[in-house]
Amino acid sequence: MKNNEYTAIPDFLEDDSFKNWVHQNNATDINFWEGWIYMNPDKKNLIEKSKDLVLGVSFKKEFVTKEKVALEWTKLESKIQTQKTTPKKKVRYLQSWTVAASIALLISIGFYFFAGNSKITHTTHFGEILKIKLQDGSDVTLNSNSSLSYYKNESRKIWLSGEAFFKVHKKVSTNAKFWVVTEDLSVEVYGTSFNVNSKKKKTSVFLEEGNIWLKLKNGGDKKMIPGNYISYSASQRAILEDTNIYNPIEKTSWKDGSLLFENISLYKVMERIEETYGFEIDFRDSASKNMLITGAVPNTNIDICIQAIEKSAGVTIIKEKNTLIIHKK
Amino acid sequence: MDKLTDKFIWKSLKEGDLKAFAVLFETYYPLLHSYGLKISQNETLTEDTLQDFFLYIYEHRENLSDLDTIAPYLFTSYKRFIINVLKKNQKLKFIDFSEEIIPDIQFSKEELMTNQETENFKNKNIANLLNKLPKRQKEAIYLKYYSGLKTTEISEIMNINYQSVVNTLHKAINNLKEDISILKLFK
Repeated sequence: MKNNEYTAIPDFLEDDSFKNWVHQNNATDINFWEGWIYMNPDKKNLIEKSKDLVLGVSFKKEFVTKEKVALEWTKLESKIQTQKTTPKKKVRYLQSWTVAASIALLISIGFYFFAGNSKITHTTHFGEILKIKLQDGSDVTLNSNSSLSYYKNESRKIWLSGEAFFKVHKKVSTNAKFWVVTEDLSVEVYGTSFNVNSKKKKTSVFLEEGNIWLKLKNGGDKKMIPGNYISYSASQRAILEDTNIYNPIEKTSWKDGSLLFENISLYKVMERIEETYGFEIDFRDSASKNMLITGAVPNTNIDICIQAIEKSAGVTIIKEKNTLIIHKK
Repeated sequence: MDKLTDKFIWKSLKEGDLKAFAVLFETYYPLLHSYGLKISQNETLTEDTLQDFFLYIYEHRENLSDLDTIAPYLFTSYKRFIINVLKKNQKLKFIDFSEEIIPDIQFSKEELMTNQETENFKNKNIANLLNKLPKRQKEAIYLKYYSGLKTTEISEIMNINYQSVVNTLHKAINNLKEDISILKLFK
């Protein structure tokens, strides 16, 4: 490129050797350009302008993480797959059901509306995720096989069994608290986002941002700061886990439709699948239990989920009634 | 080299190759995510529109025209896509009837390197000064120095010729320099 004639700004701007001189990156290029400038004093102005343009403004570029991109891709891919596999008739069928369901929902909402201070309960089945907006503006995402209830005039006190992610709307004017109550503990917050999982006879809380207080069933309490992950069991009257998690997506990815695993054994992965879809797990050999997996799988579509795991772990998974049978390929 | 891969990826996508689409997604999702955030200032909206946008591309892949470089096409169509959604969401607030849409990009202090390569730009107020520039200059600055696009690509996105991009960038940088020297006078 150095034999090019340099007469206008674009000639400099797209020239790698010129860029190297500007950033003082490469000795050969630096030498060349020092010489060139000396030989062409009439181009001084042009050089200055081009240098300004190459340098420009330096940004700290913060792009979304690779994990996030992978997650979004899984979402998109499952949308593409379902559109491919779902015949049109089925879609229509579903749509009429949706209409019926929304009418039913409207009726039930109407019922609650007149019933005054009644208890409202939302329940999810296996492989189903529900997004709920509470009256105070807080957002809740309810994971599969979970239920959540509150009294109509008191939507800032929530009873939870199962798993949910909360994004609590801060009430600046009244500084009103928000409560999440489980079998093991209650979480006391002002405005923040956190994950609560009360499956398997213990409650695990993961705090994403803000700060919260845990009031344990044994009377103790504990303050949490972002990144903390605490598990408490009322039946064992003990804190089972108290650690920091640096990759929050691992604990909260389920709310965006996928489960994310980073170097986790297939055994642990299948535990999570069991929780999510309600299948029993049957390992036919012990070697595949310890296989490490990294990747994302959808949590509302068992078939794609199985395919993804089969691919990344190199195992075969057979769905038989209520059981997933796993063996080595 | 770049052109060949872009061309190849695009062709494979048009033939329905999901792997090629995955590569395209991985490459451009982060760039478009930042761009969408800059336009809408809303993360949920950005992510929702990106899902819809990429799905739209895949569904209409057979009708897409051939491309040598992908970036300009994606940036231009996504800009139109997200601005349409924004307009729909706030029908009444938008009284801009002009056909041409120029996003008003805002920069934050945190996004700027404290250690700027241009000596004059080592200034705490650089984000504020950037924000005061005309919309077009800000867009050019963003696409060039944040997204790292080539000048030819920017000219396609902004729908102006190469020389105009150079002029716009140059004006922006001169404006900044002037503002900074004025600031220094008052110190």
